Amino acid sequence: MSATVIREIFDVFSLTSILVLLVLGMAVIVGMMKVFNMCQGELVLLGAGTAYLSYQYFGSVLLGIFLAPIVVGLFGLALERTVIHRFYKNPQGALLATFAIGLVIRETVRTRMSTQSSLVPAPIGSNVHIGGAVLPIWRIVIMIVTLIVASAIGFILLKTSVGLKIRATLDNPELVASSGISTKWMYAWTYALGAALAGFAGAMIVPLQTLYPNLGYENLIPMFIAVMVGGLGQFAGPIAGAALIAIPGGILSQFISPVSSQILILCFAIVFMRFRPMGIFHRGR
Amino acid sequence: MKNIIRGHTSLMVSGIAVGVLALASSLLVAPSQAATAKGSPIKVGVLTDMTGAFAIVGKSNQAVAQFTIDEINKSGGVLGHKLVMDLADGGSDPAIATQAASRLVNQDHVAMVVGGVASFTRVAVRGVIAGRGNTTYIWPASYEGNECTKNVWNTGSAPNQQVDPTVKYLLSQGKKSFFLAGSDYLYPRNILARVRQDVLAGGGSIVGEEYVPLDMTDASNLTSKVLASKADALFEVVVLPGTAPFIKGVVDGGFKGTIAGTLFDEGINPLIGSQAQGLIGVQDYYAPITDPFSRAEVAKFNKEQPKAAGLFASTFNAPAWYRSFYLWKAAVEKAGSFDTAKVNKAMDSVSLTKSIGGPVGFAPGTKHLKLSMYLGQSNGDGSETVLKSLGQIEPYQCANASN
Repeated sequence: MSATVIREIFDVFSLTSILVLLVLGMAVIVGMMKVFNMCQGELVLLGAGTAYLSYQYFGSVLLGIFLAPIVVGLFGLALERTVIHRFYKNPQGALLATFAIGLVIRETVRTRMSTQSSLVPAPIGSNVHIGGAVLPIWRIVIMIVTLIVASAIGFILLKTSVGLKIRATLDNPELVASSGISTKWMYAWTYALGAALAGFAGAMIVPLQTLYPNLGYENLIPMFIAVMVGGLGQFAGPIAGAALIAIPGGILSQFISPVSSQILILCFAIVFMRFRPMGIFHRGR
Repeated sequence: MKNIIRGHTSLMVSGIAVGVLALASSLLVAPSQAATAKGSPIKVGVLTDMTGAFAIVGKSNQAVAQFTIDEINKSGGVLGHKLVMDLADGGSDPAIATQAASRLVNQDHVAMVVGGVASFTRVAVRGVIAGRGNTTYIWPASYEGNECTKNVWNTGSAPNQQVDPTVKYLLSQGKKSFFLAGSDYLYPRNILARVRQDVLAGGGSIVGEEYVPLDMTDASNLTSKVLASKADALFEVVVLPGTAPFIKGVVDGGFKGTIAGTLFDEGINPLIGSQAQGLIGVQDYYAPITDPFSRAEVAKFNKEQPKAAGLFASTFNAPAWYRSFYLWKAAVEKAGSFDTAKVNKAMDSVSLTKSIGGPVGFAPGTKHLKLSMYLGQSNGDGSETVLKSLGQIEPYQCANASN
């Protein structure tokens, strides 16, 4: 295989793993909780910001990657208890409220930044040579970490008693409450989990890009499309959705211009949702 | 989505506001003739983005404007009038900029307006200022070219002034095959069209041309295409924040050729980091140019405007802002009046023997400047090395524009 082909295959896996990583938090908040969380991108941004600040003050991006899910998770917990929980019965309100929160976070970051963008180095900045192609190790790390985190979260949600309680709460809160479980805190911690995953993703991907205020916002639309294609109501759907739009997207843009491939992918998503409006794992309507 | 909603309502509101104000001002005095009583201060409009995405550029612009106006006032002002800066924030948003420009022209009756960071601002405000406002509008930015509107004057560089010498240098270095990469909007497309023309005329070949959407956060596909092309040179106009990851990907991926572009200098290089090493470009100013006047002026700027020290950079349009005020001053003095029509007639041929970056002057009939340009190479620490002083270069713009 030539170096070019290796690179192209690598790009497809890399872009897919990045989108899957970004979508994990959304799979919890939008996919499972069905909260249309327009500030998801800004939770990613806060994670990226945590990595940047950790690099600035402690000289370690790696520390920032460990701190990001904790910081953003706690932020998510506070957000749920102050704002989000008021909108579970009012999805349109949630859309507006979370959009406003996102705007506030984004513009606050913008006014705090003294430059248009800031560099954050990868904890492992070197490259590996495979068949003449030079591949960044950090992208390989992201692929592996995405696989591990997605499996771990899937395992927790589907195979453990905590996961059972979360799914039960989201499915039938009245029944769960009457069984003696505090649904209030189940909701709050589930939202916090989704926020923590978003923050972690932000800290992981910021070395591949740069820190800038629209970092998360520009990923919001692909993330939402992944969730819509994948379907609401379960954790695995959005992840499959992310793969379903990222893989053809990555392959297409090897052959046609990135602009045309973006348009084609959107058309594909629309057609797909016409025939599978409930997502990948549901037939019919 | 956000833009559609916000743009829609505020455009409507600003449209109504502009209409009402234009009507009101036409019933009053012609703006540029107001307040020219002997020795009274003259307001000059400074329109830049103090907030939003371009706030860092706005900070530099405001400081350069203040510095230049102070300097002009210390040497006696313009026709015996002191200048007063009237600052308006464009908010990095065309709707906000339109309202700001309307205030400058219709309420404050400024004698002229310098400003705008992005081309969308220029396009949004030129009608308000130069058209309905009948006020001189100076656009101080390196841009995609073709701005030939009446009462509008361009003091930044046109595409050919940066591109021609860059391509000529690359060809002279034995670079034959070129890959062109840019963000997908007007500026990169016009710049790269000029590059294509120059490369083909000089006997080189284009082995790839690719544009990425502005919101594409990961350009690794483009990186792969550049690497696969094995081009001798990459001419890139992928704009921030995509610049740094793109260049890093290309360099780390083992690209053997030279990377050139129009947006590298001391203002942008620190955002690219150590990968900026070896980037080639042409600008109207770099910090290490040897011109003693430029060096003394920039040293004075850093001392007088400590908050913007180090922000005197070509990619922030700093030299263009500086010369804009002096060129207008020269035109007013030549016309002997602040009257818009007379000033614009005089503007067509004014020049400055000394300016930051070197001598400049309008090339008559082009609305653009004959600019002193420099070939530069970036260093890994953000600084630049001047490879060659290119002298004054003609702009190829607006053939035979009468004002």
